[in-house]
Amino acid sequence: MATAQQIRNGYIDYVLMNDEKPKSVYSFVKKLKISESDFYEFYASFESIEKIIWVELIVETIGTLQQQEVWNEYSSRDKILAFFYSYVEVLKKQRSFVIYSLKTTKDRFSTPDALSGVKPIFEHFAEEILNEGLETGELAERKFFSKRYKDALWIQFAFIVKFWVSDDSTGFEKTDEAIEKGINVTFDLFQRSPIDNLLEYGKFLSRNGHFKEKMRF
Amino acid sequence: MKEQSSIPVTKTQRSAKFVKTGFQIGGNYIKHYSKKLFNPQLTNDELNEDNATDIYKSLSELKGSALKIAQMLSMDKNILPKSYIDKFTQSQYNAPPLSGPLIVRTFTKSFGKTPEKIYDKFNLRSTNAASIGQVHTAELNGKKLAVKIQYPGVGDSISSDLKMVKPFAFRLLGMSEKELNIYIKEVEERLLEETDYELEVKRSIEFSEACKNLNNVVFPTYYPELSGKKIISMDWIDGHHLKEFLKTKPSQELRNKIGQALWDFYNFQQHELRAVHADPHPGNFLITPEEKLGVIDFGCIKEMPDDFYYPFFSLISTDVIKDKAKTIEAFRKLEMIHKEDNAEQIEFYYHAYREMIELFARPYTSEVFNFDNPDFFAQLYSYGEKISKMAEFKQARGVKHFIYVNRTNFGLYAILQELKAIVNTTTYKPHLK
Repeated sequence: MATAQQIRNGYIDYVLMNDEKPKSVYSFVKKLKISESDFYEFYASFESIEKIIWVELIVETIGTLQQQEVWNEYSSRDKILAFFYSYVEVLKKQRSFVIYSLKTTKDRFSTPDALSGVKPIFEHFAEEILNEGLETGELAERKFFSKRYKDALWIQFAFIVKFWVSDDSTGFEKTDEAIEKGINVTFDLFQRSPIDNLLEYGKFLSRNGHFKEKMRF
Repeated sequence: MKEQSSIPVTKTQRSAKFVKTGFQIGGNYIKHYSKKLFNPQLTNDELNEDNATDIYKSLSELKGSALKIAQMLSMDKNILPKSYIDKFTQSQYNAPPLSGPLIVRTFTKSFGKTPEKIYDKFNLRSTNAASIGQVHTAELNGKKLAVKIQYPGVGDSISSDLKMVKPFAFRLLGMSEKELNIYIKEVEERLLEETDYELEVKRSIEFSEACKNLNNVVFPTYYPELSGKKIISMDWIDGHHLKEFLKTKPSQELRNKIGQALWDFYNFQQHELRAVHADPHPGNFLITPEEKLGVIDFGCIKEMPDDFYYPFFSLISTDVIKDKAKTIEAFRKLEMIHKEDNAEQIEFYYHAYREMIELFARPYTSEVFNFDNPDFFAQLYSYGEKISKMAEFKQARGVKHFIYVNRTNFGLYAILQELKAIVNTTTYKPHLK
């Protein structure tokens, strides 16, 4: 009796050796010496194996983060930073697979197929952290926009993963810098900024337009 | 202080920073001249002050080697107007820190463990910036430790930073770029060495061992097993930095004691070890509650080869300087006078450099030297100011070793001046053939 783990490892091994998916489930199970029903008991298709591997990687990341003592002391900004640092560390273990998977999956810009399972998990995770930040006042509450903060983080997610895939610096040091800078810029935009004040002032002036006449020297 | 969690890293971003500074400085000039229209008495001091503030601001945001260069410029007090110096000396103390998760990340990369698993306690908030890194406190087995963490990407960005600082620095110094490349190279080498924390730990241990018998000088214990490429762990030394120490109004006796410890520390290294801690900025020293001098940074070591040491120190501590022919001979060895110089030039540089050497050697000329000596320092500054304006000095002269040796010794003199210390200068004398 095969296990999900065995099938998964067999699949990773196959795609990395052949740089493509097996021709069919039939030929794949034959190589693994298991029955087709074993395969379907765990996975619906090859695509679902890939999706699940990605999901496992992000779940592992979030799990290790939440075990860290400092986690609860972190601000929202720090939590997201910590997420990405741990995530690229976890991805490192499956780097070849990650590169293969992103290379072969469809629709590489917004949400690659392989990442379709990861996106809701990340968004849920990010949203919780963003809400904490909104509650504590770390982040600025803005009508309509604050709901979209998580989308900005997803764009960062896609960018960082792609950056890491093509990073050739020692110890992926450049990815660290990309994270530190990218996330900080993003969070700087989430915070209250002079633009908010400018908008408020504009609103105030338009509401109090009748003063304009009297204001004239 | 505001926590700064990003370093502008790519070259474009860094250039943008410098461009911004350029604009601001331009702006300062406009401000200055428009004010001057109304108030012709206005001196350049305010303008220099404004410029220094802006330069300092952008340099400290850049961190890394740019901050290091700010520190270096601030040591060369003799070539900068006074208000530049006051601002630059600030960069020797604090610069805004990096984010907590990146620190954790640096640890997991080096040791595979988070800091709280390595130490019994670890403070994620840094206590000081160390120009290419920051310092955290930690505890292990009941001992308080200082943990220095290097910013990521520092090594990478040094060369590109230097390229950009070059035109900027040259404008400050008023020299041409081509001729100064040999010096810039020397600086680059030292800076790159400073990013090698493994080398620093090794040297720190060697130097603190070699210097352990010096009176009133103490060193922290280093922990190589808790140190790596980006991390150094050492004992925490309690104490005051120079400025805070001086605020406690120490007695003359105590100031002499600390000053003597500094003098001995530097001259023991120069003359006995022939390699010297070449970073005498006040942030690298602490005055402990036991009234000893704590030395906490061996990132920058300058070795002095024989072909520099002998001609240079023969000028300082023997009668050579009284003999014109011998002096010129030594100047030639040190490339202060070039082969192709004509008789007139030889005469000119002979006098100019003789003046410098005499200033440099002043503390050596008497057994006891009082560094509370405004005349001496006024002469130093005015000499610096004078040569920085002379066209003759807008070209490369002197072997590259001068940069760090001058910086070390004038830096030492500057600290001793601030201490107003009276020092016995015969403790460790040059050894000459």
